[in-house]
Amino acid sequence: MTGATAAATIDRAAADVGIQAWVHARRLGPDLDEVTRGGDELVPMASLYKLPLAACWSDLVADGALDATERLRVTATQRAPGPTGLAALLDDVEVSQRDAVRLMLSLSDNAAAEQVLDLVGLDRLSAWLTTHGLNRTIVRRGSRDSWSVVVEETGGGDVGEAPRRLANTDVDVQTSEYNALLASATTAADMVTVLGRLWEAEHHAMVRDSLRLQAWRHRIGSGFPHDDVGVYGKTGTLGRLRHEAAVIEFPHEHPVAVAVLTKSARPETHQPRVDAAIGAIARAAVTVLRRPL
Amino acid sequence: MDLLRHLRFFDAVAEHRHFGHAAAALGMTQPPVSQGVQRLEQELGQRLFFRDARGVRLTEAGGALLPVARRLLRDAEQLMTLAHRWRPSGQVRLGLADDLEDKIPALLTRLAERDVDCVPTVSGTVELVEGVREDELDIAVVRHPAVVDGLAAGPVHTLATYLAWDDDRPRDAELPPMREVPPVVVPPRRHHPAAHDQLIDALRRLGHSGAVIEAGTLIERQAWASAGHGVRLVLDDESGRPIPDLPPLRVRVVTPLPPDRRADVDHETLIRRLEAALS
Repeated sequence: MTGATAAATIDRAAADVGIQAWVHARRLGPDLDEVTRGGDELVPMASLYKLPLAACWSDLVADGALDATERLRVTATQRAPGPTGLAALLDDVEVSQRDAVRLMLSLSDNAAAEQVLDLVGLDRLSAWLTTHGLNRTIVRRGSRDSWSVVVEETGGGDVGEAPRRLANTDVDVQTSEYNALLASATTAADMVTVLGRLWEAEHHAMVRDSLRLQAWRHRIGSGFPHDDVGVYGKTGTLGRLRHEAAVIEFPHEHPVAVAVLTKSARPETHQPRVDAAIGAIARAAVTVLRRPL
Repeated sequence: MDLLRHLRFFDAVAEHRHFGHAAAALGMTQPPVSQGVQRLEQELGQRLFFRDARGVRLTEAGGALLPVARRLLRDAEQLMTLAHRWRPSGQVRLGLADDLEDKIPALLTRLAERDVDCVPTVSGTVELVEGVREDELDIAVVRHPAVVDGLAAGPVHTLATYLAWDDDRPRDAELPPMREVPPVVVPPRRHHPAAHDQLIDALRRLGHSGAVIEAGTLIERQAWASAGHGVRLVLDDESGRPIPDLPPLRVRVVTPLPPDRRADVDHETLIRRLEAALS
């Protein structure tokens, strides 16, 4: 397969399930080799902000500005709501900073992510993005505030209602969280750059390991159903947005970083066909970049 | 001989300097391309290419004729584009999703009554959306959900659907439970993949197997149903029977964004009239 046929496969797979897809892949090796399909276009990023956030946190720890083992008390009344991890628990808990990062990456835990964002701060994160050449990426708010925006724009009330409102099949429900100029936003190429940074430096080992532990294998992972192939990924989901950025490691080959950002025509929360298409798209992009070490 | 077709071969071989690559670029195999070039050479009475160990090279005659051949190809393309886009001023090119089926005549009558002069195109949603994007349609009623980025899209209309057996079953006969209902006969999935999948998920939710028969035309869908091998989803409660929670047909009006619209069509009024005809 060549780059051109990969692009055609990506377009076909996207059209076949009714999504827009923005794709970028790069081999993390000595020679620059990339596949891109709208990889430079700005897309609202949903939970993908947790990826640069983890990288920034990891650099701050390496610099001695933060203590990875410091214990954080996360109280039941104050933490961000969410479907997984600390966000889904009932009682007060205490975790270390690095375990909060682990939960944020492996389960997309919103409560843990809120703790990490508080530690790092939006200002330090913005400065980190600029320093590392991620000029298109802008993190305006964390998941908790994103959902507050959605709640407010879709009729107020309980945050638990908001995902159901976005999933209304009879109305085209809009939110500024779908607008790259108003929401936190990135490009597929920028997400690949973040992964490249994480794979460059030894001190990011804990972050890489947490990505390997990600609980979901339904998106990019579905394109690589091989027990000996490493999939180090982070998903991002909000309404019609379904994203994942991942590094794929075939044994004895250079790792390949790939980001697949999508927006579906269908509004429903569960869309296995789209998740599988993201896997097929990632496979098409990664396959042309595979090279032995 | 088809001169334009053979000129296309000439152009491709001149560009790729290789018969195999030229054939691949044309989406063909090599033999018809080689034969086509030979026939063109006979017709023109000139040798166009040298073939030797170093590959394929243009002859002096080939080099002199190539620019003219390319001009002809460009002109032919322009002719097709112009012919495709030309229309009497003020006449609206309206696209209608073929799922609207029996509703289409009444919809067009209502538009005519409101003095909308339109030429209809009945097709699948993907094609209609492409038509609006490519300036081949001024407005279209398409299935929702569909990828309509870059276009102006109106509110979603939900049209109630009914289940129709086109056989001689008495109207008051009791309906079987959904799990015993035969496959539903629908337009092809490629017309609107997202909306199609959404329907299948809804059928499964109701207890139906989700099996569908994809048939390209209304008459074909009716034929399947008449043969007793399928049921149809219809928009009128005359021929169909209501089923609780049967998903509605969701449609919406799409047009180009205001800056991309034709100047001789009053889109605002047109949209208002079409929306009214749909509700």
